[in-house]
Amino acid sequence: MRYDSVLDMIGDTPLLRLDPAAHGVPGAEIFLKLESANPFGSVKDRVAWGLLRDHIGAIADEDRVVVEASSGNTAKALQIITSMHGVRFRAFTNRVRVREVREMLSLLGAEVTEMPGLSECPDPTAPNDVFSVIGDLMEGEPGRYHHTSQYTNEDNLRAHYEQTGREIFRDAGPVDLLVGGLGTTGSTRGAATYLREQNPQTAVVGVVAAEGDFIPGIRSAAEMWEVGLFEPDFYDAIAAVDSADAISASLELATRHGVLAGPTTGAAYAAARERLLSGPGGPVTAVVIACDRMEPYLSYYRHRRPDLFGAAAPTTSDPAPSVTAEAMEAWIADGEHVVVVDVRTALAFQAGHLPGAINLRDDLLEQIMEAGTPFSEASRVVFVCPTGERSARFAARAATTGCRAYNLEGGVLAWRDSGRPLAGV
Amino acid sequence: MSARYPLPAARHPIADRFLADGAAVEEAIERFGSPLHVVFPQVMAENAAALTHVLRRHAVPHEVFYAHKVNASTALVAEAAAAGLGVDVASSAELDRALAAGFAPHRIEATGPKSPAFVERIASLGVTANADDLWELDRLAAAAPSGQPSGSNVQVLLRLSGFASPMVPHSRFGIDLADADAALETVRRAPGLELRGVAFHLDTADPAARVDALTESMAVVAAAYRKGLRPSVVDIGGGLRQRFVEDPEPFQRYAQALAAGPGELVWPGHDVVAPAAHKYGNHRPATEVLERFLTAEIERRPVAEVLRECMLTLWIEPGKALVDHAGITLASVLYRKRAAGRDLVVLDLSRNQVTPADQEVLVDPVVVDGRGDPPEKGVFLAGRLCLESDLISRRKVFLDAEPDSGDVLAFVNTAAYQMDLSASAAAGHPPPPKVAAVLDGGRFTFTAETPADTFDDHHGS
Repeated sequence: MRYDSVLDMIGDTPLLRLDPAAHGVPGAEIFLKLESANPFGSVKDRVAWGLLRDHIGAIADEDRVVVEASSGNTAKALQIITSMHGVRFRAFTNRVRVREVREMLSLLGAEVTEMPGLSECPDPTAPNDVFSVIGDLMEGEPGRYHHTSQYTNEDNLRAHYEQTGREIFRDAGPVDLLVGGLGTTGSTRGAATYLREQNPQTAVVGVVAAEGDFIPGIRSAAEMWEVGLFEPDFYDAIAAVDSADAISASLELATRHGVLAGPTTGAAYAAARERLLSGPGGPVTAVVIACDRMEPYLSYYRHRRPDLFGAAAPTTSDPAPSVTAEAMEAWIADGEHVVVVDVRTALAFQAGHLPGAINLRDDLLEQIMEAGTPFSEASRVVFVCPTGERSARFAARAATTGCRAYNLEGGVLAWRDSGRPLAGV
Repeated sequence: MSARYPLPAARHPIADRFLADGAAVEEAIERFGSPLHVVFPQVMAENAAALTHVLRRHAVPHEVFYAHKVNASTALVAEAAAAGLGVDVASSAELDRALAAGFAPHRIEATGPKSPAFVERIASLGVTANADDLWELDRLAAAAPSGQPSGSNVQVLLRLSGFASPMVPHSRFGIDLADADAALETVRRAPGLELRGVAFHLDTADPAARVDALTESMAVVAAAYRKGLRPSVVDIGGGLRQRFVEDPEPFQRYAQALAAGPGELVWPGHDVVAPAAHKYGNHRPATEVLERFLTAEIERRPVAEVLRECMLTLWIEPGKALVDHAGITLASVLYRKRAAGRDLVVLDLSRNQVTPADQEVLVDPVVVDGRGDPPEKGVFLAGRLCLESDLISRRKVFLDAEPDSGDVLAFVNTAAYQMDLSASAAAGHPPPPKVAAVLDGGRFTFTAETPADTFDDHHGS
């Protein structure tokens, strides 16, 4: 199919019917709305284009700068669309939490201002949220900025009402259950409004991260009320999913159905299955919004499930060689070269560490060791962590490469509690 | 007809049950008189369990100290002891009550500015001292018994302030970071002192401020290690909020109306300020504030894990959060009148006996056993002192029923600072007595607290 602009490729995404033999929910037709098929990779392509389509010409003519509170897919799509039109874009965020997202934004040339500690959505109880920072910026130079305001802009909803919802109905007919992750709430609510007009019985489930947990792109239940577009009464249920279930479900989508979808989609799929399995059963048509792809979240998967990346704890048949503090001190007294590698964070290392230790925090060390073991064979290498559990993994792994690697028994805690000295930075 | 702006207070089920039990309220007033402060130790136990549950779930080594200063109630301090908490005392009188409640000295921590006599007692009993100043450290060093076997020294926390981060509010308390080295040196040289750790207290619920203060405090931990000291505790103080309302909406509506012009809402000559971020608009539980701190990130890692990596035990000193909803105040309606063209309800209570530091309370009281439709018009609540300013509400309150002479008004959720912070015995009206109410098998049983316990300050500090 031929296109003359990549922007024409936004929307009209495929609706994939999952094989009932593979999803295993009796009597259910489960469809995935593959928003990941949008050209920049996510459901936010529609939002970004929906927010800019009618304004981008004027913005370019008036040489204004587009601003938005986003650290993820919206920022990516806005950056691409604005740069295609020769317009500058600035993203404000409290924190970019996924490495690939950060790298992607910088690769595309986005100006990202990170403001740790500020709330990313309008919060009447926070004295300074990202929105008030944007407000101050706009007031400071009237006419200089265009704020797309994805959280409160009704165009966000309209894009999904007019397109996403309509497309789903066209391809699936009346829908009994619609499930989607709640970020700005635009996609689920916009699509659901259309679907309910066609079938008032359509149940809508909004998916959030379990309390205290983190799933990129969606909020926790407690954070939801902060979003200007959120209307709790709109949903039949708000389902809280934890990151472990979200990850498992996304892996299941990949391996059983061949859909490479991110953790938010996993969370929505897990919530949909849970609801269908606990429901009355019978013929039912369910649609799950698959908002983006899996690949941008590899570091998230790696962080949450290191076991899937070959970093499983060593089996008992292959334990890490360990060393006591006394034995290590004896090596040093004998003039051997001993490298002590502390795998804790820089802050913990700074506060107190074994004298002479070097600091390579665990997640960085893991990446280094994927490329090979960086230590000299002439040295003994002793890995330390707070209690000796985490460091054992590194000692075992380094030992298999021929390194003379050891795990310090009891970790820094036992070292400290035995009265041995700690150095601070 | 002007609009109604009621500010309905969130009510704990136990308070709800008590207020719905007209006979129980009547019995309490008959036996102990009006006005009356009623505390609910069971609610405090519930609050303590909720906070420790969050800490356990995040696997953070921790201790929770009840900040006794929020309420002089002996029943509440006894409940803190029974719940396995520590206690944070701010005076000799509070120390006495903590000891009487059964706290061993090593479960007691003393914070705030201290008199020389109080410092002496702390040192001789072996209470942990949360040091507010270098002067106090010198005093402690002089008072600490020396030549003790290691481990029985006086434990010291350095309360830090003067953080560089703009997120952290300025404080008049604590040792400036610039003086931290001198403080560490004092502790190192004193044979009877042992550095337990570092402390700070922030007057904000913002997790980012605590993260910044924690990060800056770690430099002091590092400096302590360099001096051969062994800090093992970081104390982040209290500052966890109360939850006065179920729903922030009525408060926001009220705040907007007030901002548009006080008009009929405020008694002439007074200012009632309700900024948007006011505490009465808060509907987030303290557990959530704590959770947000533990899951906030330092170096892309949750605080809970960073604390484990730093090998520090987390101490918190909640007061408000532990007694949130653990008390109500009852007062009888003396009579109603018109004055200055407004409706007044006169109570047998004084403003300072239910209001902390003269701050207006922005939730409405409840008419016990009130019947009928809520009155259209709001009223002002007046106290019994010979002061024009003794208005219990300087703002118009919108009650849920018409109050008549002899009716009882209940002020909900008054256990944190509202009972004793400012209470005076002006005009010979003693501060209201306190009674602990315990729900047992569907009935409330009452235990009076003796006034001697409540106003015991014979140590004069």
